[in-house]
Amino acid sequence: MIYEAKVNELAEEFGVHRNTIRNWINSGILPAQEGPGRRYLIQWEDYRRLCDKYGRQPRLKPDSAAPGELPAASHSPVVPASTPVCLGAKAKDLDASPGLADICLTCGSCAGACPISGVDELDPRKIVRMAFLGLEDEVVASSWPWKCTLCGKCEAVCPMNVEIVQLLRRIRARCDRDKVPAAIRKGVVTCLERGNNLGIPKDDFLALAREMGEELARISCPGFVTPIDVRGTRLLVTVNSKQPFAEPDAMTWWWKIFHAAGESWTISSEYWEGINWGLHAGDYGAMRTMVKRIIDNIERLNCTALLLPECGHAYYATRYALERWFPESLQQFKIYSVFDLLLEYLHEGRIRLDPAGQTKLATFHDSCNYGRHSLKAFGHGYFEEARILTKACCKRYVDLVPDREENYCCGAGGGAWADPFGAERVFHGRIKARQISASGAKLVVTSCLNCRDQILYSLNREFNLHVEVQFLWELVANALVMPPAETREARRV
Amino acid sequence: MSEQAMIGSVLVVGGGISGMQAALDLADSGYFVHLVEKTGAIGGAMPQYNKVFPTNDCAMCIISPKLVECGRHPNIDIMTLTTVIDINGGAGDFTVRVLEHPRYVDSAKCIACGQCSSRCPKSVDDSFNIFMAKRKAIYIKYPQAVPLKYQIDPQACIRLNEPEKCGICAEICPPGAIDFSDRGQERYLRVGAVVMALGFQPFDPGKTRAWGYGLYPNVVTSLQFERFLSPGGPTGGVLVRPSDRQPVQRIAFLQCIGSRDKNRCNNEYCSTVCCMYAIKEAMTVKEACPEVEVTIFYLDMRTPGKEFERYFEQARTERNIRFVRSRIHGVEPKGQKGDLRLHYINAHGRQVEETVDLVVLSVGLETPDAMVRLAEKIGIHMTPDRFASISAFMPVHTSLQGIFTCGAFNGPRDIPQSVIGGSAAAASVAALLNPVRHSLTRSLPPPPEQDVSRQEPRIGVFVCHCGTNIAGVVDVEEVAAYAATLPQVAHVARNLFTCSQDTQDLMVQQIREKRLNRIVVAACTPKTHEPLFRKTLKSAGINEYLIEMANIRNQNAWVHSQEPELATAKAKDLVRMAVAKVSGQTARKPLRISIAPSVLVIGGGVAGMTSALNLAEQGYQVYLIEKTQQLGGNALHLYQTWSGEHVPRFLRELREAVQQHPLIEVCYTSTIVAAGGHVGNFTSLIRTGTNRKRTIDHGAVIIATGAKRYIPEEFEYGKIPKVVASIEFDKLHMHNETRVANGKSFVFIQCVGSRNRQRPYCSKSCCTHSIQSAIKLKKEAPDRRIYILYREIRTYGQRERIYNQAREMGIVFINYEQHGPPRIRKADNNVLVEVWDHVLHRPLEIRADMVILAAAILANPEAVALATMFKLPLNRDGFFEEAHAKLRPVEFHVDGVFVAGLAHYPKPLEESISQALAAAAKAGRLLSRKEIALEPNIALVDPDRCDDCALCLGVCPYQAIKLAEYRDGEGVLRKTVTVDRILCKGCGICQGTCPKRGIDVAGFTTAQLEAQLDAALEAAAPAEEGRP
Repeated sequence: MIYEAKVNELAEEFGVHRNTIRNWINSGILPAQEGPGRRYLIQWEDYRRLCDKYGRQPRLKPDSAAPGELPAASHSPVVPASTPVCLGAKAKDLDASPGLADICLTCGSCAGACPISGVDELDPRKIVRMAFLGLEDEVVASSWPWKCTLCGKCEAVCPMNVEIVQLLRRIRARCDRDKVPAAIRKGVVTCLERGNNLGIPKDDFLALAREMGEELARISCPGFVTPIDVRGTRLLVTVNSKQPFAEPDAMTWWWKIFHAAGESWTISSEYWEGINWGLHAGDYGAMRTMVKRIIDNIERLNCTALLLPECGHAYYATRYALERWFPESLQQFKIYSVFDLLLEYLHEGRIRLDPAGQTKLATFHDSCNYGRHSLKAFGHGYFEEARILTKACCKRYVDLVPDREENYCCGAGGGAWADPFGAERVFHGRIKARQISASGAKLVVTSCLNCRDQILYSLNREFNLHVEVQFLWELVANALVMPPAETREARRV
Repeated sequence: MSEQAMIGSVLVVGGGISGMQAALDLADSGYFVHLVEKTGAIGGAMPQYNKVFPTNDCAMCIISPKLVECGRHPNIDIMTLTTVIDINGGAGDFTVRVLEHPRYVDSAKCIACGQCSSRCPKSVDDSFNIFMAKRKAIYIKYPQAVPLKYQIDPQACIRLNEPEKCGICAEICPPGAIDFSDRGQERYLRVGAVVMALGFQPFDPGKTRAWGYGLYPNVVTSLQFERFLSPGGPTGGVLVRPSDRQPVQRIAFLQCIGSRDKNRCNNEYCSTVCCMYAIKEAMTVKEACPEVEVTIFYLDMRTPGKEFERYFEQARTERNIRFVRSRIHGVEPKGQKGDLRLHYINAHGRQVEETVDLVVLSVGLETPDAMVRLAEKIGIHMTPDRFASISAFMPVHTSLQGIFTCGAFNGPRDIPQSVIGGSAAAASVAALLNPVRHSLTRSLPPPPEQDVSRQEPRIGVFVCHCGTNIAGVVDVEEVAAYAATLPQVAHVARNLFTCSQDTQDLMVQQIREKRLNRIVVAACTPKTHEPLFRKTLKSAGINEYLIEMANIRNQNAWVHSQEPELATAKAKDLVRMAVAKVSGQTARKPLRISIAPSVLVIGGGVAGMTSALNLAEQGYQVYLIEKTQQLGGNALHLYQTWSGEHVPRFLRELREAVQQHPLIEVCYTSTIVAAGGHVGNFTSLIRTGTNRKRTIDHGAVIIATGAKRYIPEEFEYGKIPKVVASIEFDKLHMHNETRVANGKSFVFIQCVGSRNRQRPYCSKSCCTHSIQSAIKLKKEAPDRRIYILYREIRTYGQRERIYNQAREMGIVFINYEQHGPPRIRKADNNVLVEVWDHVLHRPLEIRADMVILAAAILANPEAVALATMFKLPLNRDGFFEEAHAKLRPVEFHVDGVFVAGLAHYPKPLEESISQALAAAAKAGRLLSRKEIALEPNIALVDPDRCDDCALCLGVCPYQAIKLAEYRDGEGVLRKTVTVDRILCKGCGICQGTCPKRGIDVAGFTTAQLEAQLDAALEAAAPAEEGRP
């Protein structure tokens, strides 16, 4: 039997863009033959395989041409002859407390909310069920924990507050290290061994930082010198290693803001990394070590405040580690999230922003870590702050629907940007892409590197979004009204 | 407390259906009632509903007679806009401080003409219509409100906020009833007991943005949806989308909004009623527009009540309502046109995305904060779910003696349970205050009845709009104009709701002013409404039987809604026939007979004992008939209630109380063999254990004959010794028998014999029972593995707490469907259970040490004989069928007979006790009247025509006709038939049989029926050319 469909029909059926369908056809994921009237002819088996892969109900069945759902009887025990799962006394290491799985009502809210449930049979409800019934090895061995972006949409809708993200983190932690996706594993190891995820040598970094500082001084911030290892400054700042590696200009957005605000700040020459992939790898030991390095830097440089790393996951990991393992350190120095700091500058009049330059309709994409995870773990999600700042820089603003706690993940969270599961990542992002298109926004502002890259480089291309994507601090830096030099100097005291 | 010090009046707090029922039962049982209601009118939530399951009666229509009855009862004092501040004192003598809030309209003066409202310049959102329509700042709550008095909303009123402005209403009010200086005042009431019927509020889904409530106009709550469906609602009953007023094509109901959720709210409990109301609303939509696609997204369909499961099945199979087991996490907009997108996982684990026009949120019930605070202040204990804490054994008693509670304040419940609760509270109050019964009541004798027999008929015709129920189809103006042209019609009026209280007052006035002596009400059915109008005639000083109802709603507007012109013509025909019939109507006097002050209670289980004890405490003689040698019934097999209370101890105490009460005579090993008589004077023949027969005279009967258990034929029951039924398991468990003691793995299978083709009903208590057993097993040894295989977990209400507890303890719940039941086989020393997992979509295999079958509850087969003796109906499953599923849940159409407990339907202990108390309330209310008026609609013999052929004797089903001899004027011995006025039920078979027209049923004489028929066949009046 042949399934015949146009590209846009397939796109609608699978909830993705026409580009994605064409990519599937061109890459052979979906073997299809071009037929008359711009239709593609697909063998039933290939079509069914694709449906299975993306958890879709086939619109066509071999025994009847009528569309619609399969009769409910099809899941009765008679049909598939898989071997029964024997339930018995099993150690339940994963499911250590009732809140992780036992209290599940199997209502399906989580599975309905998860953008990729059904894909390769991934389903948060099923994962919880398997943990509960003791099928731990099977879950741990599957690729599900890595296709999941740990976005927490499932958890946010769970009526019983099952800690699904926590469970998935435990599953990731239980994986043999050689089963952890290579990029993530390598990032963690490199960071532990060489101080940053990408293994950038100290001298290279220092030279680059100096050079970028000089350029900044020349272009917009006269007198600027990159403050490396300056003892006794107020604020310690970390650097996301992807920036010096791939887009060094990106570092200077913050520097420009600090300069304008007259901030007293410094970067450490060692262990300056602002990424913490221990969180993604489920390697809490690594996570703790990386945060301890930051604390050591503060103590060494005698700073009184820390700007928590800017990327969503790193903010979460650092704050989590501080609260869990180093609660006393929170008495020693003040912590700022990027939002806290920017908003403080704005409210205290230390920076002035002019939205005149930004005429595009802007929207803000909430990072899961800054949003609902932060709300749950630390009691506060950075929703309003983000909007106040974005609106201060943009004349026209629109919200995504839904957003804030109910926001959809970009599709690249939880390390998925670095994972080998690209097709799933794009599929996951289809909802984000749809949200952005529906909003009509032409500028997407976000506060997380993964989100930025996924929307800018992946979703833009896959879904023909044609949107500009900026970091919040990039947006702020661009909207800065630079004060005269003397005011800055006066403030620095 | 000494008897002299008790006060013979009662405070009922809350004017909803439960409070109204308590008030009516108490006021009719000899107590004066203060009915306190916080809003401007009584009625509670029910007037907002469109229709009620299962009869699809219009909710307003069935509650309206009760509203009016409360409104005009001489022993009910309704205090609206009143809140209770504090209660002091103790059982028998409470002092209650209440605050009457200002109405700003003098109730004594207001004539409800509505001029104030029509001229009021200020419009605000109408809370009665859940903010989907507007009302004025001066308003009545709803058109049929009791009391029908306007009130001013102080928040909205311009004048009350800016003293110099507006005041139009005061200027134009004809009787000058507006009083802007009205102030709230505190009052103290002294009462002997208090009934708290504080009610519920619907959950507000706008607390979270997830469901889009308040964000997207096409997301509505179920209560708003009721208003949309209601003819009196904001769209006049036409279902359109709120956003664009376009017809609706696809509707999704989302269940468990604000229930079974500790994330988005803190309501862990199940709200009990939402599954059924969602089905009902879906059915209403499908009946009106079958092409609309309706889907109900649910977690467990909880339809455990009587006839619920059938309704659910009917919805699924006959009405094509789609049921999807998937809880919807949120609602998102799709596009700019108001469409809504739902994303969910179907039963096969596949992703589905659907677009619908309208989302209905099935919102749960919760106790309003103010009520929780009031309860706390008074000192009533509350449950963690914020409902009144009650014992299953005393389901209407609060933690404070003398303060009773009923309705949804006791936990989420539906209308019948609330009505039962109201009556049960009344019974408990009546038992407490029995010594001071009739001490504070008053009776208002009706005005003297004028003799109209010599007057020419002057007929008054009252044509009812019934909101839009009739007027939406029938041209009522045309019908009224036509009625005025009919002979002998002296007066015609139209009313928005003829049954409302103001119309009753109006009718009285018009009967007097226009000297009307026959009345036609063209409205609905005499079955529900004739008693109301008869009372009105009585108070107007004419005989109550001079009325005829033309049913232009049920038999016309409802069934011919698609053909308005023909319906109007038919309405005229019906009115013309009624006028023809009523002109031959004569005054009749009811037969008053005294009531035997004793009750026969059949069945010595918990229900029977509870009824017996309460009635004895109310001072009536009780005969309790038990067919075995001991009292206790099915409760002898129970160990604990759902909340863990110990049943055997309770049973022992109840049994002792019953056995020791001087007014209760227990007849052991006894059965009823024959029954005769009628309400107030029954005579039953009892066969006792020694085969002796005995006759008992009694005024009322309570049937509490219990139920039987199902002996399973499935799941290898009886073949594998480790497979046992739950009642057997309880015994083994209690004795810690080796199979249980050494067992490590237990499997419970639910719905064994229930919810299948032979027995399409839910046995209601088995889910709770199995979960309790499972928890006990787990507590004894936490390493035991326990599995519960279920089709739907039905731990309704606050029972959800034990379901949550069970899961928290690690008990595994596996859902199976009827078409894929678990398979059981023997393996070595254990039992192998294979079942399909509903989440993994894979088969599971469990090696069980014991398999426990939750077997169904069956109707008692002996019910058939009793039903025949007392002429009572049984439903299709063999349970006794009550008079009205909603409002008369313990009564029958046969007066004086009541039902309680499992004989009515499977139910847990506290519901049996509640119902038993309600039945006792009804029996007590009857017996307190001391005498009863029998319907005079009986056969009358015309001796001039009767030729004593005696054909009528044989056909009379009630043996009411006898042949008698008498001597005529000339002393000749003659025969004639005589009719026993008590035995005759007025069925009219004799009338149809008599060849000489010698016997007529009063009110339905052959002459009247002929006149009616002639009128029907008469060429109807003008403007009839268009008729086919």
